[in-house]
Amino acid sequence: MSSYLTFRILKGLFVVVLISVLTFIIMRLMPGDPVYMLLGEGQIPITDAQIEAIRAKWGLDRPLPEQYFLWAGNLLRGDFGESLIRAGVPVRKMIFEAIPITALLNFYALAVAIVVAIPFGIAAAVRRNSWIDYASNVVSSLGIATPNFWLALMLIVLFALYVPRWFGDLPLIGRIPPFGLRSWQGWILPVIVIATEEMAVLMRITRGAVLELLPQDFVRTARSKGLAERRVLYRHVVSNAMLPVVTVIGFRIAFILSGTIIVENVFALPGIGRLFVDSVLRLDYQVVQSLVVVFAVLVVVINLLTDLVYALVDPRIRIS
Amino acid sequence: MSDNKLARLMARRFSRRQFLRYSAATGVGVYLGAGTMSAWAQGVQGGTLTWLGHQEVAGLGPNDIGADVQAAVIFNILNPLVHVDHMAQTVPVLARSWQLGEDNLSYTFQLHEGVRFHDGSELTAEDVKYTFETYSQPGNTMAGRFNGMRDVTVVDRYTARVNMDTVNAEFLRRACEVPIVPKAYHESVGVDGFRTAPIGTGAFRIGEWIPAQSTELIAFPDHFRGAPQVDRIVLEVVPEPSVRYIALLTGDADASVWPIAVEDALELENDPDFLVVRTNWNSPRFIPLNNELPQLSDRRVRQAMMFALDRQRILDDLESGIGVVATSHLAPHNPFYNANVPLYPFDPERARSVLDGAGWVEGSDGIRSKDGLRLSFTCTTISGDQTRRPMAELSQLFLRAVGVEMQLAEAPVASILEGLRAGTLEASLFNWTMGSIVDPSPTSVLKSNGGDNFMRYNSAEMDALIDQGLSLVDPAARQPIYDRTQELFAEDMPALVLHYRQDLGVYSRRMVGVPEEQMMSTPVWFDGYKYSRG
Repeated sequence: MSSYLTFRILKGLFVVVLISVLTFIIMRLMPGDPVYMLLGEGQIPITDAQIEAIRAKWGLDRPLPEQYFLWAGNLLRGDFGESLIRAGVPVRKMIFEAIPITALLNFYALAVAIVVAIPFGIAAAVRRNSWIDYASNVVSSLGIATPNFWLALMLIVLFALYVPRWFGDLPLIGRIPPFGLRSWQGWILPVIVIATEEMAVLMRITRGAVLELLPQDFVRTARSKGLAERRVLYRHVVSNAMLPVVTVIGFRIAFILSGTIIVENVFALPGIGRLFVDSVLRLDYQVVQSLVVVFAVLVVVINLLTDLVYALVDPRIRIS
Repeated sequence: MSDNKLARLMARRFSRRQFLRYSAATGVGVYLGAGTMSAWAQGVQGGTLTWLGHQEVAGLGPNDIGADVQAAVIFNILNPLVHVDHMAQTVPVLARSWQLGEDNLSYTFQLHEGVRFHDGSELTAEDVKYTFETYSQPGNTMAGRFNGMRDVTVVDRYTARVNMDTVNAEFLRRACEVPIVPKAYHESVGVDGFRTAPIGTGAFRIGEWIPAQSTELIAFPDHFRGAPQVDRIVLEVVPEPSVRYIALLTGDADASVWPIAVEDALELENDPDFLVVRTNWNSPRFIPLNNELPQLSDRRVRQAMMFALDRQRILDDLESGIGVVATSHLAPHNPFYNANVPLYPFDPERARSVLDGAGWVEGSDGIRSKDGLRLSFTCTTISGDQTRRPMAELSQLFLRAVGVEMQLAEAPVASILEGLRAGTLEASLFNWTMGSIVDPSPTSVLKSNGGDNFMRYNSAEMDALIDQGLSLVDPAARQPIYDRTQELFAEDMPALVLHYRQDLGVYSRRMVGVPEEQMMSTPVWFDGYKYSRG
């Protein structure tokens, strides 16, 4: 067990280092110069010498390996460096400010999705071809097919604009703002949008997994030894069906920080996805590189955890 | 992004039916922007104005005024010596008055006395000297504004004299717009420290600042022009234009610093609850061509392409007709505009005959060539640019009709600018200022050694005219020079100028005091202290 862990951790470290080098190279290969991002469009006369001075100030004139080792060395000491565009602001601060928003958003959405999708998925499988099965099918197909972007805008138009005009404030909820997180109501629409997609996926997986297990021998055996149907379902079917569901949930968590770019953009939420896209567009090297390393570490850790959870959920899997 | 379009369409259809009824029924008060104060109910004093931007406010120092959204915030915290206002007039701010030296090599500024920074210290000529000498250092993005400056002399506590090495006609309206920082505080925090925690003489001081989310300005009652009307201004970052539009309708915001979609703004133009003001752009939509490319180096080829383009149709079809077709490098509202420069009419026959005359013969595939060289080049548009890519596509058809092949490619904006500067790209389509209403000189773009010479344009006459124009300060003396630069541009056509667009600035009537006539919209945001909630 411990040698397995050591091996996995070393492998993970190797992956992270490789990714950091690749990101560094790709960012530099991207043509363009962050200096121009600051200058605006032709409003300010600037000479080549002045541009060079700005590059020198940012250390962009040094040889690439030197730039990499400087950055990577600092990273090992926990120093992510400073943003080029937001000069004077530590990258770590930018990331730590953005992470809670994205993490909470996904946590709520995943919680909503699990609470809704798993019971409905099970019900749809057990009562196959009933109205509940059809309904869950339609809902999950729509959930997968509807673009986040469109759904988000429609919900904003409906709940921030129409509903207050027609009905005034909603009972209990009050007023839903069109953007931002200044009030708790601001969370409602973005959570619904993200949850819709996750719900759709989870519902399908749950239904499929349960359907696959129902005709199995061990289920028939459980029934034939006189167990109550309820107990058969929960003890034998559902607990086994959770394996693929856990995989999918783990997969979603790994992408939790990078998967909500569109939603963050539409609802104007200053989360990690927007930070990443803004930084790529403005060639803010330090921020992009640091974020990618953070994502990489996250994916490696979550993958490891998912494998460990497998062992807990499925007694057939033993780690050695 | 067709989703975007669809959503906007639906939002629009709704507004057409519902909006008048809604606004009549609810007036201003259905909801005040999240977190706003309740002072609005009393009418004019106090309350919060909410403005919308499209991208984060990354910094709040003098180096950050290049981005409009940042300038809107910064100029309410910091003040410059003089400003170019919304009617393009030079108006004094911290300077009470100024005199130009006889040789045009010095500017003497008399400052208002008793002007307080937010930390209570008084503005003096030392602060002016410190600001100018600090931000003109290489390494600052503002350094280019100070070209030609030698140093600043403190004449007395309230008088500063700027000494120039060379005459720079732009200086007053460029350098003197760089906001003044308090020397003692700035020295203790440095340039980078200052841009995250600025202290100025402005009518507002910085409150809560979350760059990607919102920037809060809090009234500074001791402001030298009088206390502001409202208690707070909050700039919220909302990247999606249709959400900004909805937020204006719901009352969550009072105005949008960055434009909303044209179709949405047009909807509001006839709405009594909104003020929509049209302002002209200084930068034309244009196709910069690499003039060194063999197939494009003959100006007759470039002239022929101008005849081939139906530019009015591009404007009408792709910009809802909001704008005016370009003649040259200055926009028609520019005080230096030369109305005698003829407009290239849409005349494909003439385009063909010009190309025939230049020796370009149509081949079997319909594309012309000369001495084995095909009249073909690639126009690289900005990746994901939904607005200007269609203009390139339409232009491609027009050019194809006269035997010119313009192929299309895409690349990120930074690599396009760099590729054009380096001469590795052949053409692109974007907009860029080649002389603005602030100053008509097209220095950085049309001068052969200019930092933004995307066309690799090299004209000895243009270089001489630009130098001459910048050496003169009197507008009347400068006029004939810029008359000629525009003629010369139209003759040489280093870039295919399409049209100057207009912006539709949208302000809710909840924000009182916005000028109804504007030549430039950006300075409107600098006067936050004048506006109240209605």
